[in-house]
Amino acid sequence: MCNATFYPLSPGDSLTRWRDRLHQAGGLVADPVQQLRLHFYDSFDGRLLRAGRILEQEQGPDGAELRLRACVSQQVEAALPLNGPMPRFASLLAAGELRRRLQEHLAPRALLPLAGVRLRRYNLRAVDDEGKTRVWVQIESLSLLRPGARARLLSKRLCVQPLRGYAKAAQRIISRLENDHGLRPREEDWCALVLDAAGNHPLHSRPAPVVSLSARMRADLAARRVLQAQFATMQAQEQGLIANLDSEFLHDFRIALRRSRSLLLAMKQLFPPSVLGRFKDDFAWLSAVTGKARDLDVYLLNFPGYRRAIPAGLRVGLEPLRALLQSRQQQTYAEQLVVALHSRRYRAFKQRWQRYLDSPLARRPTAPEAAERLDVVARRRSWRRYRRILRQGAKIDAGSPAEDLHSLRKACKKLRYLLEAFASLYPPDDIQAVIKALKKLQKNLGEIQDLEVQLVSLKGFAMEIRRRGEYNASTAAAVDALLEVLRRRRSQAREDFDARFRRFANGHNQALFRRLLKPGAAQVPV
Amino acid sequence: MITLACYNIKGGVGKTATAVNLAYLAALGGARTLLWDLDPQGAASFCYRVKPHVKGGSSGLLRRKRKLEAAIKATDYPRLDLLPADFSYRNMDLLLQRQRKPGTRLRKLIKPLRRDYDYLFLDCPPGLTLVSENILAAADALLLPTIPTPLSLRTLEQLAAFCADEAYDGLRLLPFFSLVDRRKHLQREIVARPDGLLKKPALGSIPYASEVEQMGLRRAPLETYGHASAAAAAYRELWSRLQDALAMP
Repeated sequence: MCNATFYPLSPGDSLTRWRDRLHQAGGLVADPVQQLRLHFYDSFDGRLLRAGRILEQEQGPDGAELRLRACVSQQVEAALPLNGPMPRFASLLAAGELRRRLQEHLAPRALLPLAGVRLRRYNLRAVDDEGKTRVWVQIESLSLLRPGARARLLSKRLCVQPLRGYAKAAQRIISRLENDHGLRPREEDWCALVLDAAGNHPLHSRPAPVVSLSARMRADLAARRVLQAQFATMQAQEQGLIANLDSEFLHDFRIALRRSRSLLLAMKQLFPPSVLGRFKDDFAWLSAVTGKARDLDVYLLNFPGYRRAIPAGLRVGLEPLRALLQSRQQQTYAEQLVVALHSRRYRAFKQRWQRYLDSPLARRPTAPEAAERLDVVARRRSWRRYRRILRQGAKIDAGSPAEDLHSLRKACKKLRYLLEAFASLYPPDDIQAVIKALKKLQKNLGEIQDLEVQLVSLKGFAMEIRRRGEYNASTAAAVDALLEVLRRRRSQAREDFDARFRRFANGHNQALFRRLLKPGAAQVPV
Repeated sequence: MITLACYNIKGGVGKTATAVNLAYLAALGGARTLLWDLDPQGAASFCYRVKPHVKGGSSGLLRRKRKLEAAIKATDYPRLDLLPADFSYRNMDLLLQRQRKPGTRLRKLIKPLRRDYDYLFLDCPPGLTLVSENILAAADALLLPTIPTPLSLRTLEQLAAFCADEAYDGLRLLPFFSLVDRRKHLQREIVARPDGLLKKPALGSIPYASEVEQMGLRRAPLETYGHASAAAAAYRELWSRLQDALAMP
């Protein structure tokens, strides 16, 4: 396929008149008008658009086709007829170039509909004496589809599409359009035009609100601002989460939830006991009702890794597990998650939480540290967390129960959220260095805990498959092989813990943490 | 890229019809497809309305004076390109003999096309010549249209023996019945009880049908004008089974 040349037409131009002009005076063969619908798809975070591409589904009278298109040159890079509903994941498409390319760009992300348009198109062809088409000319109008309203005209254009091996024929048409009809070529990113008109361009959406903090501000005001931003993030995920569009919505929702919860607990001296008690319970409840769905999302995201971890000959035996995980995931979303988010309790929580975050600050707060300076409180709380982590970690040895490591992991998460929430108070290089050191330890602890949970859950899923009567020799062999791999990884991660913790708690890191967080230490003002 | 050669030692068995229709179905299914019309008669080029002419002829291509890609023409159908026939292909045997390593020249020539196409179909001339040997060395699989008659089956066995003797690496022989005339008792018998290479799981059989012959008149693949015909259904079935066979190790 060669690059097309585009000529914008004015909104008042008649497509039919242009067709007649090129057909009668230009000698081009005109085909009947086409009425098509195009729907554009990308991941929630615009991975295709970031790579300068878009996935479009063209729906015409003869069926539907999916095409991966470059946004600016509009060249089709891969295509596939679509027989049936639009799949949510690239992995569900038939094998081929389109699936390969989409998977390369999207990895495990779901395909989400971004906008739909109506396309009215006249096709004209220059044909040779063999009856062979040598160049296509398309005259098109594009209108945005709007639910419950008339389609809105966005653009009209004329396009010359050369065919490989027939460049001269295209050049002749181009010369005629430019010299005789005065048209001027212009590249137009139709995709951006449509997505912006629909208000749904993943890369042009509003950036996350910046939380404005200063070292001298009241600590309770700063905490409320951080919590406000997290609450906005939670609410922004709700629709995608309820529709089960992509696991990322729940992931982001839970991160914001956990950050809020951590901040409430790690800085409880900033909040009155009544507020703390009520909202601590609400956040714990939300965490519980979203946890199972997230675990299932994680198993499904890990599934390709599970397959790769066992010998190729055994992989087919894992398919009943995949089917079970998928059905459980859908069931959990529908029966637990969506029910919880539509519940009276959730609505009441949102109202109360928003009211509290908007309420005026008490002049003489009852919470002991509420009126103190932010930098003082943030350092004090972070330093105490850090010291607790050192104490907890030093007690862990090869014989310690998994719960001790889990508890240490939770402590690390709380410190991490505290550091990240108030990162603007510290010198950038130093705060990055301590977060990096903490991340390395968290990675090891996360691996240990995840493998602990996965081993228990996968055994439970295997029992479930057995109860359903789908447990055959091939599934048994595949599950056994997978559990063995996970057990080995867990042992390895446990063995690594000692060295990881020693590195985290070494003299250099301790000096860094002390300089940055210890109240009264010589700190560099930001 | 998977290279599929539509080949048979015998002529008039439906090689071109197979190449033209399967290449069209591959492109229709989303695959980037190239059809190389290697037969100097240029029937596949004719069916796609492309003039049977390559600048520099076979000599230019084999001596690499002109890039193979430069000779490629788009057809009227999305994702389907064609490398047209040229009358000079009749001299290809002689030209190949003058090359170094004459048996693998074609394989080298098509190597640069690998990243641009998912399938390369070769519409081959009949016979067992140096061109044929190049095709056997370049192809991943031979699609062998075979008329269900004793002499055609004998030719198929001869070809299988030749391929075994010459040990072409990884070459798969995929025969199927072609031009099956259900009015003839002997043909019905052979199709009902396939033997040798044609034993099940077979790729299927293509009936003898006037719709297929009309390709020469309409100058278009069968699917575009005769979708509802039994022959079009047979080609779709053949393509579907062929994809399954290619997916198997």
